Amino acid sequence: MSPVKAPKSPVKALWGLLFRVFPCPTAAGLRQVGAPDRQSPVLVTCNFYTTVARLTRRLSRRHVDAWILVVDSKGVNVWCSAGGDELSTDAVVSAVKTSGLAERVDHRTLVLPPLGAPGIDAAQVTERTGWKTRWGPVRLGDLPAYLARGQRRTEPMKRATYRWPERLDTALGSLFPFYLAGALGFALLGRGLLLTYLVVAALALPLFYLPLPWLPGRRGLVKVLPLVALGAGTLALSFTGPGAPLASFRAALVIGSVTLVVYAAELGGLASTMPSDLDPFLAKLGIGAIGNTAFAGTVRTKLLNGDLTLTHDPAICTRCRACVEVCPQTVWTIAEEGRIHLASRERCTACRACLTNCPTGAIAAVGREADSS
Amino acid sequence: MFSYVFMKILERRPRSYDRRMDRATGGRIRRVKEQVAALAPTHARVLEIGCGTGELASMLVARGCEVEGFDRSARMVAAARERIAAEGLAEGFTAYEMGVDGMDGLAETAYDAVVSTLVLSEVTDDERRYTLRHARRVVRPGGVIILADEVRPRGRGRRLIHRLARAPLAVATYLVSTATTRPVEDLTGDLTRAGFAVDSEQPSHGGSFAIVVAHRPKRVDTP
Repeated sequence: MSPVKAPKSPVKALWGLLFRVFPCPTAAGLRQVGAPDRQSPVLVTCNFYTTVARLTRRLSRRHVDAWILVVDSKGVNVWCSAGGDELSTDAVVSAVKTSGLAERVDHRTLVLPPLGAPGIDAAQVTERTGWKTRWGPVRLGDLPAYLARGQRRTEPMKRATYRWPERLDTALGSLFPFYLAGALGFALLGRGLLLTYLVVAALALPLFYLPLPWLPGRRGLVKVLPLVALGAGTLALSFTGPGAPLASFRAALVIGSVTLVVYAAELGGLASTMPSDLDPFLAKLGIGAIGNTAFAGTVRTKLLNGDLTLTHDPAICTRCRACVEVCPQTVWTIAEEGRIHLASRERCTACRACLTNCPTGAIAAVGREADSS
Repeated sequence: MFSYVFMKILERRPRSYDRRMDRATGGRIRRVKEQVAALAPTHARVLEIGCGTGELASMLVARGCEVEGFDRSARMVAAARERIAAEGLAEGFTAYEMGVDGMDGLAETAYDAVVSTLVLSEVTDDERRYTLRHARRVVRPGGVIILADEVRPRGRGRRLIHRLARAPLAVATYLVSTATTRPVEDLTGDLTRAGFAVDSEQPSHGGSFAIVVAHRPKRVDTP
């Protein structure tokens, strides 16, 4: 078996950049960066083209020699595929066993992507393959430093951030199809406003995503309120002046406000630092699933809606720290004498990483009544 | 056989899977399984890779075979058990939840035949090679493997037509099921590389589907 070559497809690169809500697969299997040997690290990732291309490029630039085990996640990125169970324990186990990895390296350690923790039970991977696992850094850009430190993470490497380049990158990749759909709608139904839409909707994206951390609230639909209120206020004021010359300005305000709400509705799908508004909303509307992605009745949706809450049972907790290691939001911390402490329910984005990786079931999602009893 | 891409949608409803697949393929899928069953030896120990709802297994058990089937979908396995039990054939059938990566746990030379329909087009290249390697290991020397699957047509023109005709169906299926299949590039070549000797290949539907029969040679001739 010869390792798969590094991906180089301009079409897929563009697709992965602008249409991230759709899959963009690259071949699963074992790949190499640089000239890895039998001691080189094995980095596990998804088979989303953009992720594999960026990972390969980042490591190559730093002259890192490594094996990359590309797991079949149906062409979806790590965070989304773990949430949708495409990047799962089964998928990782299958990749380890069928890729011929064991014949290439002498060690038996996998570096797993921590944003894959909602779908990957690391202990199960070890039990079923015999390979030890370590969680790598959350951000792909930290991998060279992580490897240079002997595969040890610093605290910042464990936490999900949403810095402005990441915000613009994910927002562009996830929202461009919505932008395009809006453009198509205006082209068909209101051509006179098409240019206004193209400009306003394009400006709305950085207007919301650049100041995002400083906008009050946690959920997208809350954060967008000040901007929408500003738009509505300006619209109301415009009626106090002359009417006709301001018509296009008013149209721009309405279009901008509606676009902002659309952009803000699914932060959970964009970032691992914020909960989804769309999942519980669709569940409440009675839309149980789109494709194989279920909303209604899932632990995630129930946690987001408050029907379930996270609990921790110290009596059966082994203090293995798996929850602390996988949580991208420091919901779990270590208190005195190594005890696990639920530090903040507020920060929880209901990603399920702790539930998936708790080996004893000490962490559970239980109904509110059961929790209060 | 482009309609096979719809399989990924129908898999979500195991109880009605066979009926709906039959409808989607105009009854072809059942005929394919009948062909595979007819090609398999009678009264044999058979391993079915990806047993689904047990339709093929039921045909094989009816021919006196003892069938062991596995599927990665727990719901499919449950549907298969239910079906075979309802047909009064439970004694000849064992089913369990497992992906192809679990084949290393199967006993060597334990089967007279290995069969599979529409599985290899669902797995990765590595998984396909691994599956065939272990299929060869678990089938006895002289035993057969019968595969029916979507394949990539030979010839540039046919490939282009196949790709163009299949693309809209694959996209539609993806939008509903967020999954799709991938026709196998070189099924007979894969079998040969795994150590099987190919006996026959029955292409159909413009070369986009094939039933391939191969056997594990009784001894390996060294050059």
